Amino acid sequence: MHPILSRGRVGLYLAAWIPVGGLLAALAAVAGRRTILEALALTIPLALIYAFICLGSWSLCRALPLERTGFATIAVSQAAGAFVSCTLWLIFGRGWAAALGRIAGDPGIERRYTDDLPLFFAAGTLLFLLSAVVHYLLIAFEASREAERRALELQVLARDAQLRALTAQVNPHFLFNSLNSISALAGGDAAGARRMCLLLADFLRKTLALRERDEIPLGDEIALVDAFLAVEQVRFGERLRVAQRIDPGAELCLVPPLVLQPLVENAVSHGIAGLIEGGTIVIEARHAGGRLDLTVVNPADPDRPKKHGHGVGLKNVRDRLATRHGGAARVEAREENGTFTVALSFPAKSFSGIGAAPAPAPADAAAAAASSTSADADGDAVPRRAPGAVEA
Amino acid sequence: MAADPKPIRVLIVDDEELARRVLREFLGEHPDVAIVGECANGFEAVKAASDLSPDLLLLDVRMPKLDGFEVLELLERPVAVVFVTAYEDQALRAFEVHAVDYVLKPVSPERLAEALGRARARIGQPAALPLGALQAASREPGQYAERILVRDAAKVHVIPVEKLDYVEAQDDYIGLRTGGKTYLKQQTLAEIEAALDPVRFVRIHRSYILNVERLSKIELYAKDSRAAILADGSRLPLSRTGYQRLKGLL
Repeated sequence: MHPILSRGRVGLYLAAWIPVGGLLAALAAVAGRRTILEALALTIPLALIYAFICLGSWSLCRALPLERTGFATIAVSQAAGAFVSCTLWLIFGRGWAAALGRIAGDPGIERRYTDDLPLFFAAGTLLFLLSAVVHYLLIAFEASREAERRALELQVLARDAQLRALTAQVNPHFLFNSLNSISALAGGDAAGARRMCLLLADFLRKTLALRERDEIPLGDEIALVDAFLAVEQVRFGERLRVAQRIDPGAELCLVPPLVLQPLVENAVSHGIAGLIEGGTIVIEARHAGGRLDLTVVNPADPDRPKKHGHGVGLKNVRDRLATRHGGAARVEAREENGTFTVALSFPAKSFSGIGAAPAPAPADAAAAAASSTSADADGDAVPRRAPGAVEA
Repeated sequence: MAADPKPIRVLIVDDEELARRVLREFLGEHPDVAIVGECANGFEAVKAASDLSPDLLLLDVRMPKLDGFEVLELLERPVAVVFVTAYEDQALRAFEVHAVDYVLKPVSPERLAEALGRARARIGQPAALPLGALQAASREPGQYAERILVRDAAKVHVIPVEKLDYVEAQDDYIGLRTGGKTYLKQQTLAEIEAALDPVRFVRIHRSYILNVERLSKIELYAKDSRAAILADGSRLPLSRTGYQRLKGLL
């Protein structure tokens, strides 16, 4: 539906055409040896009729969007549109001039109209093209308003998801259990207790650092996961084993914060914690074909009660990826033969993108690279298996 | 000086070594407490509880295989129980199964001493709770059982309800039929019926509850006498009300 017709602006629109009619009248009076009264009687109704004909230009403009249509196509199509509209208009005009002639008892009116046809044709063509320009402006305006509205909506959704993610980001029960471990170590292993305090602080600080960030390099997220697993390692000991396979290029890809950590937390609490012998959590990141594929695989007891599933954490990750990438993001969770797999896949955004790097990006990239190596540096103070180490 | 009272025999059940360690340390301060064993999962706990006959269980809730409530359900004789967990949301269920106390992690020595005090008062007068009540409490509120636990001497069998073919009443026991095997459990048919999802399990006869998914066809062999034929060919009697219930569901 035409925006002018659909929003009750017809009166305003027609009013805008009355001066056009006046202008046409002046032109007709000067060029066609008419009285100004005759000219007005002829052109004002014609202008109003043309106002309606020109509304048709809306469909034409919509069918030929500026940004996706060649100049030649637009020129030819709009010229054809102008010709057809104008011809239609002039046929109306001929009828109106004849009617006026009969009303006023002056056959000269129709004759003078026919004489001035080239003039009316030129004016009509010009007016049609003018209306096309106005319509293109209108379309651009509507599109920008729509884009603005959608951006706002996305922003609200993103904030909302982020807020929920942040509230859920440190599971209090994880803290309670860790504190219980520290309390246990404090009894006879002061050094161990101290180390555990530092591990916990490291994880909390890394989590805090993610606040207010919309996206972080995957390397930072993996450092967070490592810090989390280091704490859980103290709790679960030999039962928790980790294998990481991270593509070298993948660490620089930008991801929303907390895209992996909640999944790894699930893998521990719903997988490893339910197994007497524990098992290996496999974390994979692949960067290929413009996409980033992240996978978390963990063994799980197939007979466990399913009540507390991977619910909230997974839903959160799913929501946030959907907000960022829409249909381009895939989140898949499946369980077969005692193995639980969550696979994420979304378009990769990387610092190394050609020329696309914004000013602060190189510094961030450097920081990311530094942090992924500092995971090893931390390893001196805090013995951690190096990423990539796989236990049999 | 009063005669030294009999020590309290305590069994510690927690899957985390450090969690057991801190309890061990705090219990060490109490001369009237003897730690008789430690278990790292529910199966071990069930076995140790009957082998070692403790007076008191310090019991974690979330553990591999069997959670704390399921352990309780499988105990052969009543034992005083103090739950020790990081999760505060199970306290109500804990008191439904008459737990002596519910202590949150991280555990403080004072709080543990308080729980021991309550346990001392309770030991020797254990209130046996009917199995049905224990089972009801071992499910999350408003949920039907997802698995049935059967104890067979020292072994515990976990039967997911989707693998259950039918249940048959046998004197004081029920027979749980699954994959060609029958497990006996001391329980009434009414109790197990209450635990099972009525959309999936139907009482088809005074003595039978059927997993509807196993039904292959209904056979009419005499006027008003029907039998349910299962996918594996077994044949179960179908009472008239049982037939109505089954029809109402299908």
